[in-house]
Amino acid sequence: MATVVQEPARPRVPSAPIDILNTDLAKLYTHIHPVLLLSVYAFKFNSIVENPVTALSETLVAVGILQVVFSAICLPPTGGSATPLGDKRKPGEKKKGAPSPVASAVNGTVIPAFLALVLAIIAGIPILGVLLVLFGAPISTHWEHTALCAAHISFLTAIPLTYVHGVDGSTWREIVSLELPIDEVYGCLIGTMLGAWLGAVPIPLDWDREWQKWPITIVTGAYIGFAVGKSVGGTLLKGKTVLFG
Amino acid sequence: MDGEEPLPSYEGLAAAFAKAKAQKEKEESQGLKPTVGNAAAANKQGEVHFKAAHGIIVAFFSWILLLHVLGIYLFTSGFLLTRLVLDQKSECDVPPIDLISYTSGSSESGCWHPKTFDKAIVILIDALRYDFTVPFRPTAGEQPQHFHNALPVLYDTAVTQPQNAFLLPFIADPPTTTLQRLKGLTTGTLPTFVDAGSNFAGNAIDEDNLLAQLRNASKRIVHLGDDTWHALFPDYFEPNLTHAYDSFNVWDLHTVDNGVTEHIFPLMQPSNASKWDVIIGHYLGVDHAGHRYGPDHPAMTAKLNQMDETIRKMIANIDDDTLLVVMGDHGMDSKGDHGGESDDEIQAALWMYSKKGVFGRSSPANKIPPATAKERPVGQIDLVPTLSLLLGLPVPFNNLGTPIEEAFIGAQGEDYETLANVNRLVSAQIQRYQFEYALARGQDESTRASSLKLWTVANDGWDLLMRNGRASRDHQRSIYESFKAYQSETLSICRALWARFDVPRMLNGVTILVFTLITLGIYSRGLDGDRTELTPALLIRGAVGTLVGAGAGVGVTFAAPDLSRDHVVVFSTAVGSLLGVATAFWYIRRRLILPIPSSIWSWISIIFTLALSAGFAANSFTIWEDEILLHFLTTFGVLATLSSIRQKNNIDRALGCYHSILFIVLTRLASMSRLCREEQMPYCKSTYYASATSSTSATWQLAIPFAVALLLPSFIRSYYENTGNFQGSAITWLDIALRFGLLLSAAFWTLDAADDGDWYPGYGEVLKTTKVIIAQITLAIAVAFGYSTFTWAKPFLTIETKAREAVKPGEQIVADGGSSAITILGYSNVHGSRYAFLITMWFLAISLVQKPMGAGAIAVATWQIFSLLEIIDTNKLSDSPIGPIVLGLLGSFHFFKTGHQATIASVQWESAFIPLRTIKYPWTPVLIILNSFGAQILCAIAVPAVVLWKQPPKKRGLLGDVAKAVGTHLLFYAVINLATTMWAGHLRRHLMLYRIFSPRFMVGALVLLAVDFVAIFVAIVGTRMSFISVAEVFGW
Repeated sequence: MATVVQEPARPRVPSAPIDILNTDLAKLYTHIHPVLLLSVYAFKFNSIVENPVTALSETLVAVGILQVVFSAICLPPTGGSATPLGDKRKPGEKKKGAPSPVASAVNGTVIPAFLALVLAIIAGIPILGVLLVLFGAPISTHWEHTALCAAHISFLTAIPLTYVHGVDGSTWREIVSLELPIDEVYGCLIGTMLGAWLGAVPIPLDWDREWQKWPITIVTGAYIGFAVGKSVGGTLLKGKTVLFG
Repeated sequence: MDGEEPLPSYEGLAAAFAKAKAQKEKEESQGLKPTVGNAAAANKQGEVHFKAAHGIIVAFFSWILLLHVLGIYLFTSGFLLTRLVLDQKSECDVPPIDLISYTSGSSESGCWHPKTFDKAIVILIDALRYDFTVPFRPTAGEQPQHFHNALPVLYDTAVTQPQNAFLLPFIADPPTTTLQRLKGLTTGTLPTFVDAGSNFAGNAIDEDNLLAQLRNASKRIVHLGDDTWHALFPDYFEPNLTHAYDSFNVWDLHTVDNGVTEHIFPLMQPSNASKWDVIIGHYLGVDHAGHRYGPDHPAMTAKLNQMDETIRKMIANIDDDTLLVVMGDHGMDSKGDHGGESDDEIQAALWMYSKKGVFGRSSPANKIPPATAKERPVGQIDLVPTLSLLLGLPVPFNNLGTPIEEAFIGAQGEDYETLANVNRLVSAQIQRYQFEYALARGQDESTRASSLKLWTVANDGWDLLMRNGRASRDHQRSIYESFKAYQSETLSICRALWARFDVPRMLNGVTILVFTLITLGIYSRGLDGDRTELTPALLIRGAVGTLVGAGAGVGVTFAAPDLSRDHVVVFSTAVGSLLGVATAFWYIRRRLILPIPSSIWSWISIIFTLALSAGFAANSFTIWEDEILLHFLTTFGVLATLSSIRQKNNIDRALGCYHSILFIVLTRLASMSRLCREEQMPYCKSTYYASATSSTSATWQLAIPFAVALLLPSFIRSYYENTGNFQGSAITWLDIALRFGLLLSAAFWTLDAADDGDWYPGYGEVLKTTKVIIAQITLAIAVAFGYSTFTWAKPFLTIETKAREAVKPGEQIVADGGSSAITILGYSNVHGSRYAFLITMWFLAISLVQKPMGAGAIAVATWQIFSLLEIIDTNKLSDSPIGPIVLGLLGSFHFFKTGHQATIASVQWESAFIPLRTIKYPWTPVLIILNSFGAQILCAIAVPAVVLWKQPPKKRGLLGDVAKAVGTHLLFYAVINLATTMWAGHLRRHLMLYRIFSPRFMVGALVLLAVDFVAIFVAIVGTRMSFISVAEVFGW
């Protein structure tokens, strides 16, 4: 539904789309990751339908770990200067005063990843939870369900985004207003949101299926949207931006 | 296109005109420079030009309204079911089949069968639901409600004196409106949908019926109570003894009931017994208590106790030869309303009593009346043959009911001979009727082959029985059952057969609606430039087409009189109109553009409209429409927030974000007001009334209108103050008149609650009078004072001299004196603020006719409208379809939030009595429309404001923009109407047709017509006053 066109001429310097790190591991894992994520979700699906709160909490832990690992392996951390995991220095090259590989990994990868996880929890969950309520999630009941739904969407979108873009206010303004050029990470956000939005469609149908209950369809839509958005954002739509009018 | 082709004349003119004016306009539109040449003459010319262009636009949209009416009429006339009414009457001396050992022809001893009773008293307790009459049997932890155990007399007598009384569930054929039920209860035939809407003005029954048979037999009938009977049976009743009462005033619980009771007991005295043969008493109190309070209310207990006492007194007073019948005509839903076909609405009770001891049960297990209406129910049409045969009358010709077993089986419960006999008679009458019906309708016998087979089987069985002489009881019983099987098969065939749709009419109706939609679509979104230039050509060619089409249609009906006249004329008129407008589109083809969505806004406008329309094909999406609209409106709000963040201008960004978030929050706030339809259970909790089983507001809800009166005028004021438009009449109106009117409206609802709850016993009459006067004053403020101010007020501007640097962006400098400047405050939004006055006027009127919770919802809607105007302005969307479409969504959303659903039962009939004490045409239907579709009406009035908000006073083409926006708004409702119409037509055999699709179709059609009307005669006509007022200051 968004109108997508080739790089429009804009007065300020456009942000460049994010590329996957240029390592073999990153290039491999970026394809494995969505499959892994969907497999975990599919594996837990029946127990989620049976007991949403418990099963979604368990799945959330796994998803959090996977998303952090994905960010650390495949994505350039915020600032872009750090050495990614698995990157090898050229033999013989030695720099005075340069941080040790371990310290560099800690500063460049572990800290942003940890930061991304913390922000996804303390900022992402409340904001998305409120958004879900505004879209019609129950106000007085099902709080755990709504919070877990928000948490899943937050982990899917906010962890890689924060890892890559940090906490810069103007960048986040661009993220929220859909002004960044589309890439793999941004595609995840748009795909997840659209998937969650469309996930509301089957709820009212009178099929009397267990899986129609809150918030399973939304979370399922979000996961499918994540996978689609990631692959489309990294390929077909890469570098394009969303135009409103 | 070929460049050599000569331009149509108007385009050459328009081009030259435009070119000549371009420079001049540019200067003039900047500010207040005097027009060149003869200013006064030019101004006058501008005014005439505007009025002509405006009149043409009004005429064009009226022409669209006409096409909508034609299309909806044609579809409706084919869709709402019809049944052929046969004129034949049953006669006393013409039994439907040879009688055995009985001579027919005497109503003294019984026409076709020996009669059991001479006289009868038939008491109809309106809305007597079956579970009101049987003892409450709690299932795990269930508490009795107020209607339980309040009317035990029927059950008790049936248990203790089974030979004198029986009580059975009495199932109504929907629609469960009283008028339809009375037809069923007297003719014994099935209702068709076409009559459902005629509850306002009943029409006489010309079919054969019980009362006509009574009159033929020279029986004297006395009627007491509900006057609907007189509309159906004019001049049937003994004039001196009959007392009829107004049936529609649902606020009044006692007048009708006391009147019936007052007159019925004197008639039961032995001294008066010779004056009548049949008394019909129709009590309305239970029904009115339901409508007003819901079944679970102390008023219902009191009413049922009163009925209990009355019936006990009747039992004590009745003589031995008189049959006493007590029945309900329908039930009521959990809120006390009815009209649809839910279980609670169709399950009434039937009780018969006589001191003769002639009733029986076929098995001892049946001695106790059924615990629920699911066990051993009888149909309401079964009353007709039962009563006819008990009173010795012929069975009415069109009857499809079956004799009730308990009334004929005898006190011992083994008289199967009589049962077989009466069932044979009734079956034979049904057979005769079916034969005549098939003949009249030209049906062949294959449609009822299965019932004919059963008829043969039953008859052969009977003949065998006759040949053998005496037969065992089992044999008689099997004969009885085979006749009964024939009757029930015939009934089910008739049910299917009379769901007969006139498909060509439906298709032609849909065709008209489709092409009207296309016309409206091209007009609204497919034309380049100013619509005021193009409307004359479209209107003239369209109107000529209309006249030619109508003429041709009339001609065809003369040439071929076999064709249905209205069908031909309506269709040819519409086809002529559409062909006419098609030539006009060809004529202006250079100005046509393909409306391909080019922005995210036009895309979501289309997606919202089409997704909603497609959803109406599924019953689930129709049921949950309110939640879907919430989802869409929030989506719009989120996108508006994103779009606002992208704005370059800081003020635009901040304002846009603020109003977008406000819009979302208000949407969610309004969504808390819910009135659930039955199908939404158990996933929905009603909050509109005090409880799910009530139709009165909770005490805390009375505070809502007061809060609205205190807050909303200030909120609206802030929108005016932002642009300096809080000036002149706006001050008087917003600060004083509107607030005062809202306070009066709040006072009305408090007084109403006081009257309802009987807070001040003894002052009921004073309260009633006071509240009606208050309501009338409120309406006078809204409409009379409001319109006179709106028409004659100056634009909301003021002139100030202020320091040069203190001039704000929205203010216009008229004379610049270097350090100080004379500025016009309110210049930037002169059009928007002037027009939006109209929204607030109608807000007041609509707010009054809503319940307290609905007043809150309408206030939120108004606030949202103003936020939407700011969103549209800050995001520069006044040319986009999104504004008018979101107003359509908003209106539809608040339809649900003001306590309505797409069901007949949710119509708030009592709103007719807010400013009136009796029914007055045309005000009563107007009030009900204003209550039902108030939200859509308010949003339709707001449409021109979308394109006028914050536009410079002399911007060219504003009138054309208004036409475009209004067209887009109507397009939304036209698509919804077309979709619901097509789905209802397509799903006409669907199980849920009458419950879901048909009511939604009716709502869609009514909303389209109401919004068409309001958009033309309130919104577009309103822009005329507002434009003239602005032009009087700034010139044309």
